[in-house]
Amino acid sequence: MPIIETVDLRKVFRSIKREPGLRGALGALFTREYEEKAAVEGVSFSLEPGEVVGYIGPNGAGKSTTIKMLTGILVPTSGTVRVAGLVPYEQREANAENIGVVFGQRSQLYWDLPLRESFELLRSIYDISRDRYRENLAEFSRLLDLERFMGTPVRQLSLGERMRGDFAAAMLHDPKLVFLDEPTIGLDVIAKESIREFVARVNRERGTTVILTTHDLADVERLCPRIILIDEGKVIYDGALERLREEYGTHRTLVVTLFESYPEFAVDGAVVESREANVVRLRFDRRKLSAETLVRRVLDRYAISDIAIVEPDIESIVRRLYLEGYGGTARVEPP
Amino acid sequence: MFGLYRQYWRINVLTTLEYRANFILWSLFTVVYHGSAIAALYIVLHEFPSMNGWTFRDMAFLYALWMLAHALQNTLFSNVDDVPERIREGDFDRVLIRPVDPLFSVIATPGQIFPDELILAASFFALATVYSGVRVDAAFVLLVPLVVAGGALIDLGINLGIATLAFWFVRVDALRWVVLQLEQEFTRYPIVIYSRGVRFLLTFVIPFAFMNYFPAAYFLDKHDGTFLLPPQVGLLSPLIGTALVLAAYAFWRFGLRRYQGVGH
Repeated sequence: MPIIETVDLRKVFRSIKREPGLRGALGALFTREYEEKAAVEGVSFSLEPGEVVGYIGPNGAGKSTTIKMLTGILVPTSGTVRVAGLVPYEQREANAENIGVVFGQRSQLYWDLPLRESFELLRSIYDISRDRYRENLAEFSRLLDLERFMGTPVRQLSLGERMRGDFAAAMLHDPKLVFLDEPTIGLDVIAKESIREFVARVNRERGTTVILTTHDLADVERLCPRIILIDEGKVIYDGALERLREEYGTHRTLVVTLFESYPEFAVDGAVVESREANVVRLRFDRRKLSAETLVRRVLDRYAISDIAIVEPDIESIVRRLYLEGYGGTARVEPP
Repeated sequence: MFGLYRQYWRINVLTTLEYRANFILWSLFTVVYHGSAIAALYIVLHEFPSMNGWTFRDMAFLYALWMLAHALQNTLFSNVDDVPERIREGDFDRVLIRPVDPLFSVIATPGQIFPDELILAASFFALATVYSGVRVDAAFVLLVPLVVAGGALIDLGINLGIATLAFWFVRVDALRWVVLQLEQEFTRYPIVIYSRGVRFLLTFVIPFAFMNYFPAAYFLDKHDGTFLLPPQVGLLSPLIGTALVLAAYAFWRFGLRRYQGVGH
């Protein structure tokens, strides 16, 4: 049985329509014209327990709105949603027992209190048994190295320390599933890695289902075998990350450093992506043209001092998808 | 829930101790604030020894009754006032991801809350009771806590109703301010001194008169027959308070479903 199932989920926000400027603002005081904006427009997907899924999309794509409907914060305008068998907005409190949430932009911890006190408060809120609480806290504090700052007020912690505290806070009550909303935003490389390691471990050892929204696609590459791409409130891709890379990563870039500057540069079968000083980036489709042939064509015409082939990273694939839309066939059911 | 509530108070005390200077200033302010209100009453009453049969001694009791109910609601439920701000800043989301009733979760959000105002109010009430010469018998001892609790509920019901409007309008500070001014101004004097319209407003629309005027009139035997109400009407405040809070809670539940959050 899937742990999350949404069918044709929609959320329309209603706001008062305003014309720009002071005049418009004054006008809005007297007229009640509403403007409707669909943030999520018919999203359907399902997740099996234990999956780690990257839920990605550009700003304003509807990621957070979807998450808020899954957590019971928002009531959907239409469509159905079930999380671990419950309807979040109707059984909000029961649903809250099953889920953990980390908002990278907003801490769940109590600003004025030492970390320890925040955890104690969460113990009361979730009614966690003493033993379970002690075990979890010991494990998390080992994995996330919390011991050093357990007694420091949260407002005095560094962002990395606070995020580690937030992760422990979200996991203390053994949630079946966790929502991570941009959990690595603003963190340095080392802190990011320790958080990723923690998520991977919790998923592996406890079977916790993870939904991750992020703009850092390195998080996704590291953690998520499956991704759901959304844009303008609609799912544009749902499937294996690998498959996306195969279908959309057919282009390679050949980076050529020229020995001297040529007024013109052109090679059959490849497109000049950019040219800065003597460095030219050529894009080609590896299914139509082998790298060897391309290199030979370049060498026939130009003198070069350096050459390299760049594989597409997930970021450029996703960028292309946003720009061009998904035309592939990989709209597959999860494995 | 009980465990959470106890923790909440523990943390309030800890936070208060963490910001000692701020706490001391607040306490001083509370003393000065109520002190100057009472001093103002004294000055007015010096000019007019009695207002429609109410002397300064009576009014000290009137004020003390309001202060006690108001301090009780401030101590237990002041977090309700933060709801509009939390909605505006998006912080309200976190109330909704907890396995606890959202209103309880709001009320039990720790901050720097300390029962200093309540202690002050209780002390002043004891003084005013003696000073006013009100008859202290078994009935008085039994009824005062009920009436004070009722007054606190009236206060809470009105605050909760206003805070709930934030689900639609986000910012409601202007309305909150106006109502608070109304409460502070019109609970100071016996409502008999006001016009019929104002009395009607304070009795039937925003029933602040049940926080102190009607109960005080009952205890001090000052029946005026406003709107042909019998003196025992003063004992209705627990009922009115409960009804008001229940209505405000229903409204709150309705508003919760309209919550839109911030950002998309």
